[in-house]
Amino acid sequence: MMPAGFALSRRMRAALRAAADSVMILRVRRLFACAALCLVPLACVALQTGQQPSSPAQAPAPQADQPRQPSTAQKVLPLIVLDPGHGGTDTGARGSGGTTEKDVVLQFARVARSEFERLGFRVVMTRSDDSDPSDDDRAAIANASANAIYLTIHAGSTGALGTARAYYGQFSSSPAASAGSSLVPWRHAQDSYSNASHRLADLIQVELDRQFSGSPASSTGAAVRDLRSVAAPAVAVEVSTMSVTDPTPLLAMAGPLAVALTRAVADFHQAPLAPAAAGKP
Amino acid sequence: MPRNLKIAFAIMGVAVLIGLIGLRGLHDRVKSLAEAQAQKTEAQSRREVLAPKISTPSDTEEQVNIFWAAGPGKVEPVEVELPLSADPVERAKEVLQELILNPPTQDQRTIPADTTVLGFYILPDGTAVADFSVALTSEMPSGILSEQNAVNSLVKTLAANVPGLRRLKILVHGQEVETLAGHVDLTGFFDLNAAAPQKAAASQSAPASVPASAASATAGAPKPQG
Repeated sequence: MMPAGFALSRRMRAALRAAADSVMILRVRRLFACAALCLVPLACVALQTGQQPSSPAQAPAPQADQPRQPSTAQKVLPLIVLDPGHGGTDTGARGSGGTTEKDVVLQFARVARSEFERLGFRVVMTRSDDSDPSDDDRAAIANASANAIYLTIHAGSTGALGTARAYYGQFSSSPAASAGSSLVPWRHAQDSYSNASHRLADLIQVELDRQFSGSPASSTGAAVRDLRSVAAPAVAVEVSTMSVTDPTPLLAMAGPLAVALTRAVADFHQAPLAPAAAGKP
Repeated sequence: MPRNLKIAFAIMGVAVLIGLIGLRGLHDRVKSLAEAQAQKTEAQSRREVLAPKISTPSDTEEQVNIFWAAGPGKVEPVEVELPLSADPVERAKEVLQELILNPPTQDQRTIPADTTVLGFYILPDGTAVADFSVALTSEMPSGILSEQNAVNSLVKTLAANVPGLRRLKILVHGQEVETLAGHVDLTGFFDLNAAAPQKAAASQSAPASVPASAASATAGAPKPQG
């Protein structure tokens, strides 16, 4: 016979998945407040039967911008959503030797995936072949998880070869969101995570600066389309540059880039918000 | 003649021959580069002739700051003297045309050379709407860095030279487009108030192109509509 706690948590996971698939994103704060209420009797059942709650739905309820702070003893590693930009007919930037950005960033993402998995992170890639999912489809993968970090990787056609930059999203905020509505339009999904994304971008930029000399010391805010619909801490990383005949030095950046990303995410996992911001209500 | 000397002469002869061949190739390369440079200048001259001269009776010579690229992720003002109209719409068109047509060097270009300003409107609430030709998106170098630089140069140039503007909406051939060249989102507005106080200073890429509401939230200004 199936334990009561298990059946209940499956139902909750199904509800979460349905919410993520809808056109509007249900604000996670309220969703997880409900989840927390449901978990009280569930925890009682588990204690009575001598079992420990263990399903992902029983993780501490995250909140926008002060979300992923589980207790020190029970910090669940986030799901890493790696997005190699472009794909399919959208080649992105082109090198003079015929190299395309879509292929270069796919290679970068594969190396980063291995590095994250080596450290015990769960990783999902938005594409692992030459397909071209829409920006919203890519974002939906992160939005379906209660504890995700979204990293989109690009290679630009300008900038000094061997440098890299981290960008966090800065977009027009939603009037509905500011009025306290429980529904957030797709285009404003990132708004609630701007502080966390800024923090993550800063940490990534510090590591990029260490790995690639000549990179800027601090991250940049920009209206990057790829980040707009992501309801999770999200950062775009762009390496320079595709404007080379021989892509060898560019491809050699894959390893150091993976190291920079994993180190920054590990730091972010320990402290999702900067000390000053973390104290704010 | 000793055998060693003969070998040395032979090696030197081969080296001189290789040098002559290389010198010829180098000469051809320099020549082709010079021709390419001349062609660029011709193309630029043609654009300048074809671009309709914007002028109004109220035009007066003024010193203006046009923001062109100054290295990766950076735009800086360059002071130029232009005949400018007192009418803000015409004034905006004049400074945008200068930004597109006359960068001091090709490396400082932020907007594709073939871009034209199809229209410029100012709404009563201070929203500026700039409508560009398709070349703005089709000829823009792909990448967050280059697209961000392009938006920064537009925003800072308008903020520095056209008073009374609050935010900028960028259209392409009369339509709203999703992105500039695949990366920077053009569906929102870009704050011009945030860029205005920095008009005399060299500026980094981030602050100017902050979309309206995000920038004003940072600056503590009243929150515009998203």
